[in-house]
Amino acid sequence: MKIKYIFPLVVGLGVLSGCEQSLLDTVPNDRISSDIFWKTERDAILASNGLYPALDGVNIFAIEGVTDISHVNQVFQVESNIEKGIHDALNSRPQSEWTAAYRGIRLANDFLANIDKVQTTNTALIARLKGEARTLRAYQYTKLVGLFGDVPLVTTTIGIEEGRTLKRTSSAQIWDFVLKELTEAANDLPATQTDKGRVTKGAALALKARAALWAGRYQEAADAAKAVIDSKTYALYSSYANLFSYAAENNSEVILDKQFIKDTYSNNVFASMGPYSQRTANNTYVPTKALVDAYPMANGKDITDPTSSFDPKNPYANRDPRLRASIFVQGDDLPDGKKFDPRPTSGTADAIGNTYLATSTGFVLKKYINKEDLTTGGNCGINIVLLRYAEVLLTYAEAKIELNQIDATVYDAINQIRQRADVKLPALATGLSQAQLRDAVRKERLLELAFEGLRLFDIRRWKIAEKVMVGDVYGMTYADGADLKTIQIASFTRVFDPAKHYLWPIPQKERELNPELTQNSGW
Amino acid sequence: MYKPLLLSFLVCGITGFVQNANAQVFAANYTTISQQNKNQPDRKASIPLKEALRDAEARFGIHLVYKTDEIPNRLIAADALSGKLEQVLENLLSPAGLTYKKVRNTYIIKTQKVKTSGKEMLTPSETSPEALPNTRAISNDFSSLRTVPSQLQFPTSSTHAVAVEDIKIAGKVAEENGQGLPGVSILLKGTNRGTTTDANGAFQLAVPDEKAVLVFSYVGYLPQEVVVGGRTAINITLAADTKALGEVVVVGYGVQKKTSLTSAVAEVKSEQLTRRPVSNANQALQGIAPGVTILDRGGSPGPNSRATVRVRGITTLSSNDPLFIVDGVEQPFNTINLDDIESISVLKDASSTAIYGSRAANGVVLVTTKRAKSGKAVVDYSGFYAVQNAINKPEMMDLEPYMRLQNVALINSGAAAKFSEAQISEYVNATDRLKFPLPNTWFKTVLRAAPQFSQNVSVSGGNEFFRGRVGVRYQKQGGIAPNFDSDVKEIRANTDFKVSNRLSASVDINYRNNNWQTPVSEFNVFNTMFHGSLWAVPKYPDGTYGVSAQGNNPLMYAEIAGLSRNIQDYLFGSGKVEWEIIPNLKFSSQYAIRYTAEQNKNYTNAYTVLDYYNPSLVRKTIPRSSLTEIRSVTRETTLNNLLGYSNTFGQHEVKALVGYSEIQNKYNTISAYREDFYNNDVQSIGSGSDNNKNSGGVDSQWGLRSFFGRVNYALADKYLFEANARYDGSSRFTGDKVYSFFPSFSAGWRLSEEKFFEPLRTVVSELKVRGSWGRTGNQAVGLYSYFQTLNSSTYTFGGSVVQGYVQSNLANPNLTWETTTQTDIGLDAQLWNNRLSVTFDYYDKLTDGILLNLPIPTTVGLNAPPQNAGKVGNKGIELGLTYRNKTKSGFAYEIGGNFAQNNNKVIDLAKTGPYISGSDIDPRYIIKEGLPYNAHWGYKTDGLFQTADEIKAYPTLVPNMKPGDVKYVDLNNDGKINSDDMTFIGLTFPRYTFGLNTNFSYKNFTLFTQWQGAADVDTRLSGALAEMGNYEGFTHKIYTDNYWTPERPNARFPRPVKLDLRNVSTSDRMIIDGSYLRMKTIQLSYSLPKGLLERIKAGRATVYVSGTNLLTFSKLNEWNLDPEAESGRATYYPQTSLTTVGLNVQF
Repeated sequence: MKIKYIFPLVVGLGVLSGCEQSLLDTVPNDRISSDIFWKTERDAILASNGLYPALDGVNIFAIEGVTDISHVNQVFQVESNIEKGIHDALNSRPQSEWTAAYRGIRLANDFLANIDKVQTTNTALIARLKGEARTLRAYQYTKLVGLFGDVPLVTTTIGIEEGRTLKRTSSAQIWDFVLKELTEAANDLPATQTDKGRVTKGAALALKARAALWAGRYQEAADAAKAVIDSKTYALYSSYANLFSYAAENNSEVILDKQFIKDTYSNNVFASMGPYSQRTANNTYVPTKALVDAYPMANGKDITDPTSSFDPKNPYANRDPRLRASIFVQGDDLPDGKKFDPRPTSGTADAIGNTYLATSTGFVLKKYINKEDLTTGGNCGINIVLLRYAEVLLTYAEAKIELNQIDATVYDAINQIRQRADVKLPALATGLSQAQLRDAVRKERLLELAFEGLRLFDIRRWKIAEKVMVGDVYGMTYADGADLKTIQIASFTRVFDPAKHYLWPIPQKERELNPELTQNSGW
Repeated sequence: MYKPLLLSFLVCGITGFVQNANAQVFAANYTTISQQNKNQPDRKASIPLKEALRDAEARFGIHLVYKTDEIPNRLIAADALSGKLEQVLENLLSPAGLTYKKVRNTYIIKTQKVKTSGKEMLTPSETSPEALPNTRAISNDFSSLRTVPSQLQFPTSSTHAVAVEDIKIAGKVAEENGQGLPGVSILLKGTNRGTTTDANGAFQLAVPDEKAVLVFSYVGYLPQEVVVGGRTAINITLAADTKALGEVVVVGYGVQKKTSLTSAVAEVKSEQLTRRPVSNANQALQGIAPGVTILDRGGSPGPNSRATVRVRGITTLSSNDPLFIVDGVEQPFNTINLDDIESISVLKDASSTAIYGSRAANGVVLVTTKRAKSGKAVVDYSGFYAVQNAINKPEMMDLEPYMRLQNVALINSGAAAKFSEAQISEYVNATDRLKFPLPNTWFKTVLRAAPQFSQNVSVSGGNEFFRGRVGVRYQKQGGIAPNFDSDVKEIRANTDFKVSNRLSASVDINYRNNNWQTPVSEFNVFNTMFHGSLWAVPKYPDGTYGVSAQGNNPLMYAEIAGLSRNIQDYLFGSGKVEWEIIPNLKFSSQYAIRYTAEQNKNYTNAYTVLDYYNPSLVRKTIPRSSLTEIRSVTRETTLNNLLGYSNTFGQHEVKALVGYSEIQNKYNTISAYREDFYNNDVQSIGSGSDNNKNSGGVDSQWGLRSFFGRVNYALADKYLFEANARYDGSSRFTGDKVYSFFPSFSAGWRLSEEKFFEPLRTVVSELKVRGSWGRTGNQAVGLYSYFQTLNSSTYTFGGSVVQGYVQSNLANPNLTWETTTQTDIGLDAQLWNNRLSVTFDYYDKLTDGILLNLPIPTTVGLNAPPQNAGKVGNKGIELGLTYRNKTKSGFAYEIGGNFAQNNNKVIDLAKTGPYISGSDIDPRYIIKEGLPYNAHWGYKTDGLFQTADEIKAYPTLVPNMKPGDVKYVDLNNDGKINSDDMTFIGLTFPRYTFGLNTNFSYKNFTLFTQWQGAADVDTRLSGALAEMGNYEGFTHKIYTDNYWTPERPNARFPRPVKLDLRNVSTSDRMIIDGSYLRMKTIQLSYSLPKGLLERIKAGRATVYVSGTNLLTFSKLNEWNLDPEAESGRATYYPQTSLTTVGLNVQF
């Protein structure tokens, strides 16, 4: 009967085992405590590495997607309502841009609040990293003001309660802040970085030029742009057609980009923007007739010019080479080697109306659509360029024109772009008026920078949205027998109310969480 | 902070006590007290006799048997305990006029009426009736099972003491229908001697003389006493005990007499669970108990059922699953073998759940598995074979109306018609459906009938020292679409050991292996049956798949896209000891380990589909195969220590329980990815390409430490009181938030026991009112939410990958439990000779401090931490009625009905919200103060616009509305239709649920039906079902000639507009009343007659045919959709109906 005593013994042991103290005191093994960080130089670099994912990436296409040169291919996308002008403060696109920008700002603020805890004698490193963080923060504010106007200026790490009482800061004050930050950051930043993709002095100055231009502070814009030009660090890349290819990554023209690498830190630009026929691609935002028609003939004349030699039956021949470098048009080679034929009767997967997922305009973006990504459209390593030298040249030109400081440098800046090795448009006629030059520089911006995330800000700055963002939306013109037919997006009309549509509404949820946030006028 | 300390002390107190007690047991080997005294603390000079007896029992390792009321309340000098055993007993008993008899290790104490000698050999007849101690009759909290009636004791003594002159008796115990009743206990009255019946109800027993009285008892039957007289064969029939309230009910950490229950507990018996063939245990609970709502949304074969269990509504914003406790340990319920279940108790009110504290807010489901009874081994077999058929088979519009609808929709959108009259007629009249495929045939071509079967064999039996039950299950379920199937293999062994009169142990082992597979993307299969797959030929004669313009074919996805294969191994082991320290005081300890290993292999095939007519044309290609393999392991240990006391003092019945429990859970998962395998048959992770391989994984652990207790007090079995408390500590919280306290109180009054009630008793035999109040908690928050951490991030500079560290979540160290406070008022009654039983409950439940990631201003720049905010309330009533009767002709019937109403309301969201999810084209839900949780949210509509003037005079959703478009109501009259005009348009969780069970039996036939339904619930169809052909989806027949045209101004549906969503925005038009009444089961069974049974040597056998989900009344019938399905696109594995034949037999 010994067994009779064994059970109580087991019970007793069982009870005793219950006194394990660590039961409720668990420590995660997949993350680290904030308390042990911010000690070494390595920590400083690791922390600064963490700031870069906050840069814009493929979301620039969504911002571009709601402008005159683009159509949101599927009307049930949230951006479609913005394109149509029937969006409200609940629309998730403004919310997501707002959230992402303040996320980037928080990261930079965290970094700047803690970086001085790092024990090191390498003060230059710390200064450089601070410069990077301040530039990245200024980048977010530039975009925020462009989208929303006045927004809260947050420069410290705030808590929830503070977040509930923030007020909007005037755009002017934010521009002051941004320009000052970028000026100071530029002083601490090197002209080039060992790590390709890190913020440089040129990035800070080029961003300053952009911000100043958007702020209408043309002198500052021109000066900053000139500083970049004069630094001779950057030059236009030889080929516009290859500018967004893998081969051209980190080329001499790139000033700031979001860097990607297949598999590990990739984007889905091919899948989201490529032609529907290319495996899993979705041409989410497609170019419109407005953009395609804007490209002049190779002789520099607009296609509306009777002397331009434009042939409506062969509309893509002899055009500004940037057209077919930027956009898939009928007859182009597709990444899979087939011909792009979006005509409704073509029988291809890209045929308009074949399915509502195929392009509705007959055009598809070609920039960034690389053969290398054909089989892995959702896993692309191509860097997304956020700021390039061409923009700096055009910013310089535009600022000088607005300042009416028209001189040879202005023409030179624009002509450099027109006469890139594989573009080779005729130089601008000399002796143009300020107004003529203004038109010229604006058009050059449109063509050169199409689908690079700047158009929305441009049509807002120039106050032309109320003209270009209204009415029906058109696509390709094609020959149907003897007739020429132009695609019109069925049952789709754009509305633009200048009283309110020049800014996005402050997201509804933000205003509910923080009653101090006022709404933009008209919303 | 002193509270945890105090509680730790309690545990250590228990520990200390137990160790002390152990010491005493071990000391029993010593024969002299003097040796003992060295280990004893100083004692008081005098102690009560009862305590002294207990001391003596413990000290000498003997068992004393006595009637408590025969032991006088007198004090004994402490030194009376000195000396040898016999001397001590003499010292204690003689002065009190008591004596004792020794039977082996048991000493029976009685009054000194009979002259005895301590050395005399005791014969059984002399162990006179009084010797049976009444203390044993009190049902004890520790027995979580009711297999052996508590008054049964089989001390080793009696069986050995059989004298030669005994009379041998044999006989049989039968049910009223004449069938032998196995497991009936037969006790020689006044002794501990007895036996149980075998599988056929037969028994043998030796009795000392003709005066002997046999007591026959069996749970659920009225006990019977029989005087032996001169007989040697005794055949009796036991009558079923219809007084249901006489039963005991499993409650948290124990059992309780139903009559003395003061809380709301719904009980489900095994036979209720196994009547309906189901693949998933959750489904079996449907429609059985009031207040327990099962939303059965079908689901593909395998454990990931889409049937959810909700107790008294939606309590919180996160998981609303109740806590499932199987045999004392938290275990998965949905995969359990229903044939292994003895009973289920659903604890609904706080009084019953509070003892589970922090995990009890959503109710607790207690499952007790079957255990063996003593007796000859009994073999049970149950098996069924069923044919499953999809019952969601929406019907596609006919070809011609569909083509015409397309033309109308295109013209309405401003485009040109797509089909000319000639094309339409060519297409419609075509006979070659390969060249002229029909638009959508998937519900006929992908779905098929599928078999399902289940086999269960169990063997159980044993003797007084050892009882064991082993159950084996094999279950297989085919899929109603290709490549879906599941099988389950399972073994459970439940064993019980009786070590001594006061020590028993049980060891349970359960192993379950579930293998199931689905196509690698189940979603693709069912989504493309509705969406993006028009005009595709399912399969050409040579096996080539057709693909739609969007490249889809659901049959192709099901057959060749690859497989997701899953293996789940579940292993459970539990060891439990119960030790009666002294009479009335029991200690039990259970230690259990749960091990769950899961392996998922998701293999995507590489494949290419060529054009049938032009094989050089590639229609679709997936160039790379890939494999993601995930393995995860969960190890959870549970320790439960309980100390329980129960006693009766005259009219006072007292029970008390204290317990300690801890749970430790460790989880670990790893995943690996490779692609580009040599071919689709090579599916080993190491065989993929080295390019682009990837791996991941995570470890986590959590712990829960709990202290709990309960006190029951009953006065004259009439006035009942109960209090529970639990003090829970969780690793999910930190600092002073780690521990929290959950109390509950309840009381009951059995009016029917009162004098004034007597006149009514002929009608109402039992009437009890009860009320309870209590608090429970919910710890549904992610691990480490309180921990301020930096997360790793990835970036790349110039092609080199770099790591970064950033803060991404705000930590909340103040995080604590959600608390649910619940008040319940209930009534239990038995009427008309117990033919009608009634249970009624009203409850009011408020969950406060709901853990949710309240949105924070995003200007803060970090993800919101979970916070304790938000209140959700549930109020409702529950009614359960059962009526049973039997006519003289032998026709027996039972009708059980249950009804529940639950009003759910989000009361407070801490000044945030509303939270809106969904969109214009899919169901839109809102969580908003004052509305039910997750209500439908959208526009009100006012018919269709009929004229242009009407449109001019009213705001519209989009510009350019035309007649035939939907008129959305400008609720706020601001001249615009926008989100400000949205309002509450329906409930997503039913307000009313009800069930009805009927059972009619006559002779050997039984007809059983189960009905179940819900009301005041709404469904929002979306996607192809709602778009009426405006996109490229399935188009339901219901739209045929039923959409607006100028000639049909009164059509039910608006005008179609191609690629336009103006008329299908989430609105009251899109809401369909989801109420339904469904005949869940109809079953006809036949019990084989005696003669036949004898021929096949079976104890009993029943064959049945049944049907499940064969009849439904619902507005969704016209959409051919299952009313239990949730809102949305119906892109899920369809709900099925079952036609079953089955056999249950016992040998």
